Amino acid sequence: MAIQLLNGLVYGALLFTVASGLALMFGLRRIVNFAHGSLYMLGAYIGYSASAVFGFWGGLIAAGACLALVGLLLDSVVFRPLQRRDPLTTLLVTFGLALIAEDLVLTIWGKDTLSFAAPSELAANWSLFGASFPVYRLAMIGFGAVAALGLFLWLRLSRVGLFVRAASQDPVIAAVQGINTDRVSALVVAISASLAGVSGVVAAPLLSLAPNMAGDILVDSFIVVVVGGLGSIGGAFVTAIVLGQINVLGVVFMPELTSLLPFLLMIAVLVWKPAGLAGERV
Amino acid sequence: MPALEVKNVTKFYGGFAALNGVNLQVEAGEIRALIGPNGAGKSTLIDVISGRARKWTGQVHLFDRNISQLRASQRRLIGLSRSFQRTSIFPNLTVRAQLRLAAQRVGGGDTESLLEEFGLATLADYAGGAIAYGDQRRLDLALALIGRPSVLLLDEPAAGLTFEESKHLAQRLRSLAQRWNVTVLLVEHDMEVVFSIADKITVLQLGAVLAEGSPDEIRRDRSVVEAYLGSAA
Amino acid sequence: MSVLRLSGWAGLAAIGPLVAWLTPSLLTQSLVAQATFLAIFALGVGLLLRQNGMVSFGHAAFFGLPGYMLGALLPLKLMPVELLICTAVLLTAGAAFVIGLVIVRAHGIAFGMLTLAVGQAVYEAATRMRGLTGGNDGLSLRLPPHLFGLSMKTFQQPGGMLIVSWLVMVTVLALVSVLGASRLGVLTEAIRDNEERARFLGYRTLLPRATMFAISAAVTAVGGVLFSLYNAFISPDTVHWTASGSALIMAILGGSGAFWGPVAGAFVYFFVKDLLSGYTAHWLSIIGMALIVTTVAFPAGLAGVVPWMRKLIESRQGEDPVASA
Repeated sequence: MAIQLLNGLVYGALLFTVASGLALMFGLRRIVNFAHGSLYMLGAYIGYSASAVFGFWGGLIAAGACLALVGLLLDSVVFRPLQRRDPLTTLLVTFGLALIAEDLVLTIWGKDTLSFAAPSELAANWSLFGASFPVYRLAMIGFGAVAALGLFLWLRLSRVGLFVRAASQDPVIAAVQGINTDRVSALVVAISASLAGVSGVVAAPLLSLAPNMAGDILVDSFIVVVVGGLGSIGGAFVTAIVLGQINVLGVVFMPELTSLLPFLLMIAVLVWKPAGLAGERV
Repeated sequence: MPALEVKNVTKFYGGFAALNGVNLQVEAGEIRALIGPNGAGKSTLIDVISGRARKWTGQVHLFDRNISQLRASQRRLIGLSRSFQRTSIFPNLTVRAQLRLAAQRVGGGDTESLLEEFGLATLADYAGGAIAYGDQRRLDLALALIGRPSVLLLDEPAAGLTFEESKHLAQRLRSLAQRWNVTVLLVEHDMEVVFSIADKITVLQLGAVLAEGSPDEIRRDRSVVEAYLGSAA
Repeated sequence: MSVLRLSGWAGLAAIGPLVAWLTPSLLTQSLVAQATFLAIFALGVGLLLRQNGMVSFGHAAFFGLPGYMLGALLPLKLMPVELLICTAVLLTAGAAFVIGLVIVRAHGIAFGMLTLAVGQAVYEAATRMRGLTGGNDGLSLRLPPHLFGLSMKTFQQPGGMLIVSWLVMVTVLALVSVLGASRLGVLTEAIRDNEERARFLGYRTLLPRATMFAISAAVTAVGGVLFSLYNAFISPDTVHWTASGSALIMAILGGSGAFWGPVAGAFVYFFVKDLLSGYTAHWLSIIGMALIVTTVAFPAGLAGVVPWMRKLIESRQGEDPVASA
């Protein structure tokens, strides 16, 4: 049972690190980034190729750095020019980008599933609660926890974090206060993209690499963000953990319905509270 | 029996009382002006009466019927209509289509004659968003007047209008009210309009009724002058 | 309706049978037939977009549900197949109505995400409930020898299906255009424009929009029925969100402003994809770029080309465009 809970935490942690970026972007620029899953995927594939030369950790860093650049590009070329338009436009454009990204991956890496080995340092198994549990999975939980803590501290304590929160509440007023919302936005998108990309690498040993991985994580991330409250990191955190548990425990207790649960949850929450659990806050 | 009665209405926004135990009675066929400084709660009161505001305490009666629980759409169907401070029309529908839509719901009669009546005949085929601001205000008012509502709530109908247009509006309202015996409650800052057509004036301040009476009485009322009118009277 | 208009419709309806008759190539016939299924699918999505101003990422669920219902219920021989088909479409629309009552309250992005959720829920159910749906292997439809008085072969051969589906498409197109001008059509457009004012005119705004959602689902379902009959097979891929996404792209490329826009978009999408996949493996990128370009630069889509050209011609002739409108 405890092992199941841990497994749930693994996926929950992963989901959080990916979805948090989505939440930040929505909170700041009211953007629904349909290409977010693609960022995760690109990170995984870039990490895969880079790790062949630089090892797992090198691959991780490469993915993070490349995706940060991609994020900056995304913000300056797509999000900022389109911000005055209907948010639907940005949604559709990111959808188009997701298609292009998928093509890119198919072209460079092909459509076969690729496997990715965990780093040798973390390849062992520990005996926990009477069963054998891979260390790497514990590391994944750790990664998620560090990311969550880092984000929380950054948002609450740092000056930029304060700007992000202020700009999320009211971009116009924040801009009037002298905050360079464009630069804050670029930073947030870069961090979000980088986080998504690194998550892709972290997840790869567990979930393998395939061109459809973007879609799978995207749908779950949307659920996390929408249920947690568009723009709320805390809400996303809680939802991600809950969703992770539902996914794992559901398989044990009611396999047929498991996959339906996240969607039913989303529908139920949105009906009760259209702005999501936490409402529109950061 | 008054056409419109507001009983002890209170509405809080967080800890702030936008309306604090407001009582109001408007007789049938009367034109009542609701004035007061910004933040007095005038628009909030209109929102409560028209069904736009939620979470308030008290009662609203329309000709002895308690309508407090009714939805906005239901209130419209029983004859309580309103216009909006920020012009609220349908930008992508033609003027004709909008009037027809309104008429179909409340039995407002033939569209062509409506267009004539509200002076919108020449604009009939233009999209709502494509006509001049003053015309949009007129359309907004027309949409509220279709079906001859028994009580009409107007939220700053003269806002953004030129001097000429305001005078026109005032005349229009006066003649319509008389012809159709409509009870009117209007929120207005334009004192020219207020004093030219109001039968009675209610002054609101900080969510409560400060004074009430005929235009002359209000003009002379010390507390009102201090609180609000100043040199505008 | 004027004689000119009626003959226009008749002419449009005749194109299908004409193509079937004039084209010897079975492949072309099959392609056109398949394009019409998608065109009807896109019509449903476009209808929702135009009337309610709402984007659905889950309409593939309504495209595939009738097929699954047929697959599950045909062997039980509960009723004549014709009735079963009608029931399947009605049940799909009914389910959409109930779902619509719940999710139509959400605005913009939240609604889109909810439709994604609904679509994926159906997909997951289709993959997991192997007993009912055959899971990832899909479900074969055990079709009877006759349908609506015609031999089932008609529906499974490219030529026959082309004629049938084309005629159905034109009929649906006509119904959609009538709907747009109807009271419900104008009301939903008004609600889309200014929901609050519609309420203050005395209208309930939830029911009309839920109804329109159900109608758009019914339209899509009709396309789904034809698709299932032709292939005699249904699988989870049909209800995956990428299928919904493709239909959405078709509706946007074609332009939802005109009722025929999605149809044009579907045909262009389908044939360009078919053409391109012969030459390049990158048709995904091309579709993606087409979507981006259309959304950013030509939001009215293909349907916007006609008024744009008209304006161009009029301004060239020196006439005042407003006066001649």
